[in-house]
Amino acid sequence: MRLSTLRMAWRNLGRNRRRTGLALTSIAVGQIALLAMAGLMNDYTEKIVDVITGPLMGDVQMHVPEWRDERAMDMAIPDLASRLAEIQRDPAVKTAFARIYAPALAAPAEKAYVVVVTGVDPDAETREGGLIEGVAAKPGEGRVLFGRNAADRLGLKAGDEVVVVGQGADGIPADRRYVVAGIVTSSVDLVNRQGLIMSLSDAQAMFSLADQAHELVVRAKTREEADALAARLAASPRFKDLEILPWYEVVKGMKRMVDMMDYSVLFVLIFVFVAAVAGVANTMLMSTFERVREFGMLLALGSRPWRIVGMIFAEAAALGLLGAVVGTILGCALVGVTSWTGIDMAAWGGEAAKDFSFQGMRLPLLVYPWLKLSDVLVGVGAVTATSILSAVWPAAIAARLEPVEALRK
Amino acid sequence: MTQHNGEILVSAVDVTKVYRAGEIEAYALRGVTLDVRSGDFLSIVGPSGSGKTTLLNLVGALDSVSSGKLTVLGQDVAGLSRRRRADLRLKSLGFVFQAYNLVPVLTARENVEFVLELQGVGSERTARAREILEELGLREFADRRPLEMSGGQQQRVAVARAVASRPRLVLADEPTANLDGDNAGALMNMMRRLRDEHGMTFVFSTHDPRVIAHATRVVTLTDGRVTGDEKGEPAAA
Repeated sequence: MRLSTLRMAWRNLGRNRRRTGLALTSIAVGQIALLAMAGLMNDYTEKIVDVITGPLMGDVQMHVPEWRDERAMDMAIPDLASRLAEIQRDPAVKTAFARIYAPALAAPAEKAYVVVVTGVDPDAETREGGLIEGVAAKPGEGRVLFGRNAADRLGLKAGDEVVVVGQGADGIPADRRYVVAGIVTSSVDLVNRQGLIMSLSDAQAMFSLADQAHELVVRAKTREEADALAARLAASPRFKDLEILPWYEVVKGMKRMVDMMDYSVLFVLIFVFVAAVAGVANTMLMSTFERVREFGMLLALGSRPWRIVGMIFAEAAALGLLGAVVGTILGCALVGVTSWTGIDMAAWGGEAAKDFSFQGMRLPLLVYPWLKLSDVLVGVGAVTATSILSAVWPAAIAARLEPVEALRK
Repeated sequence: MTQHNGEILVSAVDVTKVYRAGEIEAYALRGVTLDVRSGDFLSIVGPSGSGKTTLLNLVGALDSVSSGKLTVLGQDVAGLSRRRRADLRLKSLGFVFQAYNLVPVLTARENVEFVLELQGVGSERTARAREILEELGLREFADRRPLEMSGGQQQRVAVARAVASRPRLVLADEPTANLDGDNAGALMNMMRRLRDEHGMTFVFSTHDPRVIAHATRVVTLTDGRVTGDEKGEPAAA
């Protein structure tokens, strides 16, 4: 396209500044909305995936087939120590934990309450990414931890004694007396509400699961390695008797929720397209109809119709690009500010929102939006492309103009 | 001063133009026969609706004849494609319109350059545009946009644009219609000078006596027919 055509297209945008301004505003507002939404969802999605793959789920889970449905005590992974060692030899593995899950009754006095006993490796799970990360009072040797809500319900505090009654994998009832070593607040809601954390060795002893566990939780060094790691473990003959799944296969509901967040950005993107199309098409149509006689004059001088068509497309592209750039600057500024201050969504939802949880996991409520380069590029590209698309109609009108008829308008 | 050889640039033989709207037919031209010769400074005169603009549009290859034969610079206009007609206009004809004559977002120089660029003139077009504007006494307006100039100044820039590529034939549709007496006189003097110095041929449609007074030949149209073709006695420039 010739420079003079681009120059004319650019200057034509200034002929009706109010109309151009309105079109730019609609495009820019759309882009701001898109970036704000993308920024919010980026952090929210990442935090949710962190919550899911963090303390409770890990990136890969290993169980005896059917255990996830039946949760039977005797459906445990055998040869635990050697298998854990094998897993930890994989270079992509950051950590691997074994866990036992068992329903039980906890009785601090006369009354008994239902709890879920989780047997964990105290050393591993108090480190980063563990179920009781950062907790000073480790379980073990007759000492257990209680979740905050469960402890409140049972009226327990550190130092109290509690009797735990359950059933071993061999079907024989088991009961033990433990001392409450501490009360924990976890990002895993299940632990807070019903959790009784004991050491893996105590749990193996109480529930007759020597060198066994119900679950192996594997965390990859990076999230990108998780799928390949799951595939590698699944292909290993050492684990062929186990069901090995990446986290999103284990909690499909969560995966759908994460996907829905992506769709919500797509939904906003569609609205941005519609706003851009409406704004640019309206501007370009009005501008074309107003300039029919001018186009006739250009054609009379010997200008080719494609040149006028090119000018209209260039105007539309400039309008879309300018609006997208303005929207990007303002949108990035908005995301930049909120990434610093954070957005406390609990403040919007009141007290009830503070305990917002799904499938036993506490969902993040303080979000720090951030953007990927692709978010910006998709917005700018889509708005510009849509703007060009919306100029097809006015360009088609201009392409069919006969100079003599246009000059009569 | 350039000598004119009297070569026929435009030949119209029994040209008729009919506009049809459903069952209704409106004759704009009825059997017009006319030659335009090199060096003519020709005014087509007549009342409104007599067919002046239609005849100019046909000669300018902007429209097609309904019947008859029209040859412009040796080319039968009826047989030309849309593209070839655009080429004819671009390379051999200059246009001055009554109004909406300049591209409002371009300066005077850029308006002149625009046509030169269409004609494929390269990097020297800026110098040529400045040269023609200077030649026509428009140097001080070179960097002004149309809205920053008076109607007379705009029409002079339009003439500069029309003649920038030295076309053989310049067509002007009521060029002085929106100008006062002084501006109209200045414009006509300018075009006379171009005709005399560069051998261009000018055809005007007008009913402005100030234009007619400059013509070397006056063709009168009445109800689409040629009812007069007289030699003029041009006033002194």
